[in-house]
Amino acid sequence: MIDPRGKVAVAGIGYRQYKRGSAPLPERGVLVQTIVDACEDAGFDPALIDGFVSYGDDKNEPVRLMPDLGTRELNWSAQVWGGGGGGVAGAFGLASAAILTGQARAVVVFRALVEGSSGRLSAAVMAHHLNDHMVSAGMVAPAQICAMRAQRLFEYHGVPQSVCEELIRANYYHGSRNPEAIAYDKPFDIAEARTSRWIAEPFRLFDCSRENDGAGALLLVSSELAKDLRKPPVKLLSVAQGTQKGWGDLLENDDADLYPTAGFGAIRERLYGQAGLTPQDIDVVQLYENFSAQGVASLIDHGFCTYENVAEVIRFDNLVAPGGKLPVNTSGGNFAHGFVHGIGCAVEAVRVLRGESANPVPDARTCLLAGGPGAPTISSAIFGAGDF
Amino acid sequence: MVRSTYVTATGPIGAEGPYWDGLLAGKLLLPRCTHCGAWHWPAVWRCGACGSWDQEWLERELAGEVFSYTRTHHRFGGLEHFALPFSTALVTLNGLSVRLIGVVEGDETDLRIGAPVTGRIDHTMFGAARIPAIRWRLGA
Repeated sequence: MIDPRGKVAVAGIGYRQYKRGSAPLPERGVLVQTIVDACEDAGFDPALIDGFVSYGDDKNEPVRLMPDLGTRELNWSAQVWGGGGGGVAGAFGLASAAILTGQARAVVVFRALVEGSSGRLSAAVMAHHLNDHMVSAGMVAPAQICAMRAQRLFEYHGVPQSVCEELIRANYYHGSRNPEAIAYDKPFDIAEARTSRWIAEPFRLFDCSRENDGAGALLLVSSELAKDLRKPPVKLLSVAQGTQKGWGDLLENDDADLYPTAGFGAIRERLYGQAGLTPQDIDVVQLYENFSAQGVASLIDHGFCTYENVAEVIRFDNLVAPGGKLPVNTSGGNFAHGFVHGIGCAVEAVRVLRGESANPVPDARTCLLAGGPGAPTISSAIFGAGDF
Repeated sequence: MVRSTYVTATGPIGAEGPYWDGLLAGKLLLPRCTHCGAWHWPAVWRCGACGSWDQEWLERELAGEVFSYTRTHHRFGGLEHFALPFSTALVTLNGLSVRLIGVVEGDETDLRIGAPVTGRIDHTMFGAARIPAIRWRLGA
């Protein structure tokens, strides 16, 4: 067994984001640009990338990227199963596995989404999961399924719905200070969220992530190689993907106590154990929030709070940088930065540890990337800056 | 092993063919392992608990209590045949640990977790497809 902690690092990042339906190139073109951006960031020749990993049913098969990138050899091509964002962090595990075992040397983790090429993400995610049972009950969108789980979280388990507002406010606060974000320079009034139109109760519009066109790419190499590249390495300290018994694609027949969670009980011990860390050691969180309640459930699952003390921890003041103890979504997150199937959360994990975030967290050494919550297969990762 | 003739309108079919055949015949049929007696939903070919390949399909009553619910307001793609808003309830059936999902009809004043419901079999239009469907009504 290889101890993976800190042996692989992110050496370069690229991220391009546009309003939905307005990308200047078709999806693969935006993706190629973003991968080249990541290589320029790292000071690395794109032709030397020999591995590619994605998730969430990305449509850009790596062999098709080879002519544009000048790829000399393709040694690793893989994707995490699942139609949603559950695999975003697990993708780093696939990349790391290839590098640690010598099967590839430089692996890009990517996700690209351009509506004109791939259609609406929500429709694609649902098409992956759609079946006659759900359709017969009018359940055709991820928002509805997550809403039903949120209802149980609030009504049965007693989590106050107000904590969702705290999370939304923190995201929009960070987003308003990030020039790349959809919420940039826009004052945010929580009253607007409270009175926004219903989508599926208990969710209003502001409880839901909204899609953007764009792409993100992160170049991973061994930490040894990363030391010689342009930017300081951001090391992968741990990564875990999985599903526990009683959770999954079960026609909403998940175990009763798991049903309102985000599913991360499956990986929590492996994630922290591999890194040799505890939730108290995490300096900043990039939290994939497809919907507000699932973001809250993810923070609970990851051990930052419980059903009982959730309102003490998930408070605006506590969630915002630089003063909060648990800064969350320093770019604005999927809600207020933008949503390219969560790859922006991974990019921000690297930025904040490099000190490049629009909302810096001084001296941050560890960042948790919490992957898509509520997905049948979920994943998370912990990144670290400095000596590990 | 029970063979089914049901053709789905969406997605691949699993082991639940007899469930759909049952609804089309006006009955709720659910699978139970003949060896260890475990109810399985979603349906399985092989009991993951005891390894048996023999599942029997037994008729059950369409009644239970609300496990959770949502009221949909947004016209998502695929809801062209629905009047908005409408409520969907996930219901734990009486006497077994199986949850089934269906649209709520009638008075929704008492719609909350734990509320008793009874069901009937109807159908939902999805595009041109006619899918057998459960409708829940509040009250024991």
